[in-house]
Amino acid sequence: MSRRCSALIAFPVLVASACGGDGVATETLPLCADDPGPAPLRRMTRFEYGRTVADLTGVPASVADQLPPDEETLGFDDIAAAYSVSTLHAARYLDVAEQAADALVADDVRRPAVAGCDPSSGDATCVSDFIAGFGRRAWRRPLEPDELQSMQQLYTDTADPGPTDGLAGVVAAMLQSPQFIYRPEPTAAPMGAAAGALEPYALATRLSLLLTGAGPDDTLLAAAASGGLDTEDGLLAQTDRLLAGPRAAELFVHVATQWWEVAAIPTLDKDRSLYRTWTDATPAALAEETRLFLADAWQAAPNLKALLTAPTTFVDADLATFYGLPVPGGTGFQRVDLDPARAAGLLTQGSFLAEHAKADQTSPVLRGKFVRAKLFCSAPPPPPPDIVVRPPTVDPRLSTRQRFAQHTADDRCAGCHVLMDPIGFAFEHYDAAGRWRDIDGGQAVDATGDLTGTDVDGALDGVPSLAARLAGSAQVAHCTATQWFRYAFGRAEQSQGDLCTVGKLAAAFKGPTGDGDFKKMVRATVRMAAFRNRAPGGSP
Amino acid sequence: MSKRLSRRTILRGAGGAAIALPWLEAMAPRRALAAARPVRRFIVMFSANGTIPSAWTPTAGTSETDFTLSPILAPLEPHKSDIVVIGGLEQKGGGGDGHQTGMGGMLTGQMLNSGPFAGVGAAPAGWPMGASVDQRIAEGLAVPTRLRSLELGVQVGAADNWGRMIYRAANQPLPPDDDPASVYARVFSDLHTDPAVVARLRRRRKSILDGVGGQFTRVSARLGSADRQRLDAHLTAVQEIESRLTTDLVVNNPSCHDPTISPVSTTANDAFPTAGALQMDLLTMALACDITRVASLQWSRSVSQTRFTWLNITQGHHDLSHRPDSEPDAVTSLTSINNWYARQFAGLISRLKATPDGAGGTLFDNTLLLWCNELAKGNTHGRVGAPYVLAGSAGGALRTGRYLSYDGRGLPHNNLLVSILNAVGVPDTTFGKPDWCTGPLTGLL
Repeated sequence: MSRRCSALIAFPVLVASACGGDGVATETLPLCADDPGPAPLRRMTRFEYGRTVADLTGVPASVADQLPPDEETLGFDDIAAAYSVSTLHAARYLDVAEQAADALVADDVRRPAVAGCDPSSGDATCVSDFIAGFGRRAWRRPLEPDELQSMQQLYTDTADPGPTDGLAGVVAAMLQSPQFIYRPEPTAAPMGAAAGALEPYALATRLSLLLTGAGPDDTLLAAAASGGLDTEDGLLAQTDRLLAGPRAAELFVHVATQWWEVAAIPTLDKDRSLYRTWTDATPAALAEETRLFLADAWQAAPNLKALLTAPTTFVDADLATFYGLPVPGGTGFQRVDLDPARAAGLLTQGSFLAEHAKADQTSPVLRGKFVRAKLFCSAPPPPPPDIVVRPPTVDPRLSTRQRFAQHTADDRCAGCHVLMDPIGFAFEHYDAAGRWRDIDGGQAVDATGDLTGTDVDGALDGVPSLAARLAGSAQVAHCTATQWFRYAFGRAEQSQGDLCTVGKLAAAFKGPTGDGDFKKMVRATVRMAAFRNRAPGGSP
Repeated sequence: MSKRLSRRTILRGAGGAAIALPWLEAMAPRRALAAARPVRRFIVMFSANGTIPSAWTPTAGTSETDFTLSPILAPLEPHKSDIVVIGGLEQKGGGGDGHQTGMGGMLTGQMLNSGPFAGVGAAPAGWPMGASVDQRIAEGLAVPTRLRSLELGVQVGAADNWGRMIYRAANQPLPPDDDPASVYARVFSDLHTDPAVVARLRRRRKSILDGVGGQFTRVSARLGSADRQRLDAHLTAVQEIESRLTTDLVVNNPSCHDPTISPVSTTANDAFPTAGALQMDLLTMALACDITRVASLQWSRSVSQTRFTWLNITQGHHDLSHRPDSEPDAVTSLTSINNWYARQFAGLISRLKATPDGAGGTLFDNTLLLWCNELAKGNTHGRVGAPYVLAGSAGGALRTGRYLSYDGRGLPHNNLLVSILNAVGVPDTTFGKPDWCTGPLTGLL
């Protein structure tokens, strides 16, 4: 067992240097051009669908919560290979599209804004302009003549009793169309040819969904139409414009909460007989704390270090009380400074700590495994099939460390648990609800541990000591680039071209100083062949 | 369900008032065909994480009809003469980790394909290689009900192969609906909407979905084959909901009425029993109104960490299920949890028995229910001796009031699935992976 485990640890670093280098910013587009990798047809996630429908019609983005949940794998909601479809999906797309369509046609500001005239009069020219205008935004490209014609026919068929019914019919159909729900991507290359550059509208769609989690705005579509995305400067100008907006920060929060496995916090619950300050309101407050912290970290530069080490967070009065912190002034959530000897970015937030714990006890295994799997990208192998896996029973007379002694006493467990538990023990000052504690099982907390098999090995004592090592690790930076690759391209890295892309992303992320800057990595993404080109004919 | 087509169809409005609708001539031939066959219904109920076999297995007496219910199955005592307890089969499956294998094989009798979901100690797995038995029943019965089948869940949550058990076909999971309010709106809207409005909405949706379907065909033609398959599957789903628009809700059962519904959290742990009770109410009414004849109720998912606080159990279910047999408090808690699920199953049976069928008798008389679990035992992930309880005779096809033990015979549960098909009138001779299945389950029907 132990040999199997140690062999896995070195893997990420080997691929990191395969074709990387720090000169990303000066290389000519596109990078890693020999192999853009597969590009299976992607469907908008619920997150993207909701935001895009909200932009188009004014309904709240939460309208997408009515859709069946997205399949999640590799830790993300957008992995195309995992997606399935059912009649429930079709029925819900219908419901949501109708709600959105009704909202738009009832909106006396948005409805006339689509075409610069009010189509509710039924004026034929204005109706045509509405169809073309809404279609261009919803389908992220101009409609072709036969498409305009069929939508015009649909208007006629559904304008009963009046014109607004027809408008709603057209909008509802467009929002259920594969042109909207999916992301079909034409290239300039003929079928069967080698990889070709994406057509400008398809590139605009990729860019907007990647950077904002929503479909392209008018400015981006106009750039696509005028050749503004055909040059490196033009593409990067649009990239920078979108990166500067609030949407990019929201997208970052969306990706980072999945990466840190805290996206499901709102449904988390704890044993309230043990954690008496945990209330119905706690999960939402923890989620909000993390959201505010991530949005703030996005603005910092470089920001990986802030994510991992910043001794600050956001609390309101209730959450401060929950943590046992001084209640901040003002109303609502406020940024507060924490004790740097205790606090370290996301690693000491309640969301992360409570998610990586059981309902009734902490879990050094879950916390240590997260660090290995999601920050070093070297998940320890699972337990052998003949072992009965069980968390030790809570015993008020024993510390967590004592109760997990089995993992080091049993050779079959020790080989792999030595990779997780000694990292997890460094978190022991934080209970299963994410609150600081000095006593565990009637004894003073011992938060010493050990980080092994990485490029930043060493003894640990408490989370800040771990955080400092993580922030200085090239492996962690490379793993971060791997996580971003998976989200950005909606698939696992698999080919040599993919490893090249990940290497370039990691190089951009690290920069010359190795600090880890997400914005630079995101900006580098649009320079990749995997982003700008695609193999014709969809997935193999 | 009336077999006489001259009877006027009745829709019951929100106030309980009967609304007479003219018979739609176009619908008559299809309905007549369906009505000529006896009504058969199938419901499957799932609970997770294995059981405690020693506390589940009944005590056998001198014959298969002479047995004493176990601590777990005790709540089924009022229905003892209407159930068949089946022990000792091997729940076949393959691919993925223990829970994935169990979930995937439980109702399909198939292996999992390789795929994107990385389990514990196994290669990443995808969806099963075939349809689930309920979907084969829906196909085999071919009754043009409004819904081909109805999938209901209780806090099932995330979409992956630990949380799916119903498959339309290979690689086509059907997600359950966890929200009673949305089930109500989707399934029963016709019962509380002015018929003229319903008719108009249907015409309108027909036009819209026609347009959508045309777009799918158009876009699909420009894609590579793998991507095209994806869109074609979506198009099929669109066409199916379109066909519902031409399937009239023909209600000849006075028990059919617009159900009442109250809001309930779909995620809060302690709302689990309430949400489940509402789903069972809705399921019962969907059968009474003949909106569907095939339904499932999935309580959470494999590996679920539901905390049964209403039984004074605070540890998560999956963690509990991994604790060894030598820890009496864990065994006691798991027995309580499975006993609670038996109570829910009994409650579902009681609801069906309490609801008259249109043609006389109750809904229960023509229904077959199956209660199953993805594992036999949580702390081994074993699937030999997986717990099955059938209820109802499916119109007399199944002799009930029996405990059948197949211990030591190495029989695959595929055979049980074949017998289930046969009981409801689908004359298949095999189901699932062909080289596992050896025919109907000896001695059941």
